[in-house]
Amino acid sequence: MPDPTFEALVERHSAEIHAYLWRLLHDPEMASDVLQDTFLRAWRAFPRLNHRDHLRAWLYTIATNRARSLQRAHARREMSQIGLSDELSDPCASVAAQAADRDLRSRVLAAVDRLPAKQRQALVLRRYQELGYDEIAAIMGGSMEAARTNVHLAQERLRMWLSDVDEGQTSERRGGQ
Amino acid sequence: MRRPKMGPKMDPMRAVDRVLGPGPDEALTAAARARLTAILHEQAAPVYYDVLPDSLLGTVYLAAGDRGLLAVGLATDETRFVRRIAEQHGRRPVRSPLHLQEARRQLQAYLCGERSVLDVEVDLSGVSPFHREVLEAARRIPRGSVVSYGEMAKRLHRPHAGRAVGQALAHNPVPILIPCHRVVSAGGRLQGYLGDRIGLKAKLLKLEGVPMAGDRIVVGGRVS
Repeated sequence: MPDPTFEALVERHSAEIHAYLWRLLHDPEMASDVLQDTFLRAWRAFPRLNHRDHLRAWLYTIATNRARSLQRAHARREMSQIGLSDELSDPCASVAAQAADRDLRSRVLAAVDRLPAKQRQALVLRRYQELGYDEIAAIMGGSMEAARTNVHLAQERLRMWLSDVDEGQTSERRGGQ
Repeated sequence: MRRPKMGPKMDPMRAVDRVLGPGPDEALTAAARARLTAILHEQAAPVYYDVLPDSLLGTVYLAAGDRGLLAVGLATDETRFVRRIAEQHGRRPVRSPLHLQEARRQLQAYLCGERSVLDVEVDLSGVSPFHREVLEAARRIPRGSVVSYGEMAKRLHRPHAGRAVGQALAHNPVPILIPCHRVVSAGGRLQGYLGDRIGLKAKLLKLEGVPMAGDRIVVGGRVS
């Protein structure tokens, strides 16, 4: 990369954008593809960029749009393809507990996927990427109020759809039986 | 195993937090970043182009980087080709007959029917993994035969992805070199090439010995 400013941008934000895409898409390969696509587009547009004040929000906007068009283009992947994180494949957990974790994970992701795209994006941006409502509004192209409403509606729906999840499924299991 | 204690009703958002909160693990992020950095570095390398005029398919434009051929432009003009390369690769290509000499020579011979195999390095590093997989599979279709979109999807173990395969082929950056023209509809109809340039597809197939009648393949040139 010849442009040190762009290189710094990659250094500073690529991990964060990757986490965002992973949370939106739940698929390591797709997250990596869209990350690549996002930064390639950013790289091509960078020389023509007039204002370089809100680069982080700009990257989030590109990533959001790319993820959305990928999701439109591809049918949803099978839940069975979702990799388990280290935490969920804890070797100390019993087989039954691991199966319960898998079920929980599938249920949660299915519920998150059922959310309208804007609500899902707003929820992930606010709750997990920890962005402010002003930033979310800028990224998603709406008002702060709309961003707040989207997060609220997303949480309300998830609480309703997941109201019967078992507390045992979400308790910490590290450290043995 | 102890049964979990019954407690007060928990907030279901805790379950969502548990699944989405931790994010990808570090190794995954590191791998994605390494891949990204490699591709961006490649973007900074120079891109060259050259022109092959008056071929069987009209004027053909070629662009290459240090790792191989990046693009073949058919049914276009120099301005549009240069602009497309600049947009796709982030910088304006430089005309350099020297860098394209070998590719140009081979392609010229191929389109004159003096050569039956093209042995030119192709650089697909800027193509997404799925598209690359499709293009690599298309590359294995031998000269003189054709394959249907559905069969291609089957070969990629995605029997229902015929449409996605079509999309990947439609975005083939290096037509002729990667013979996407050898993929046709199940009925033997040519169906799409660089938009509506079916005539070019027919010329290529004819050159390769596939019997054609208009935009259809005739008996003998079997669609697998």
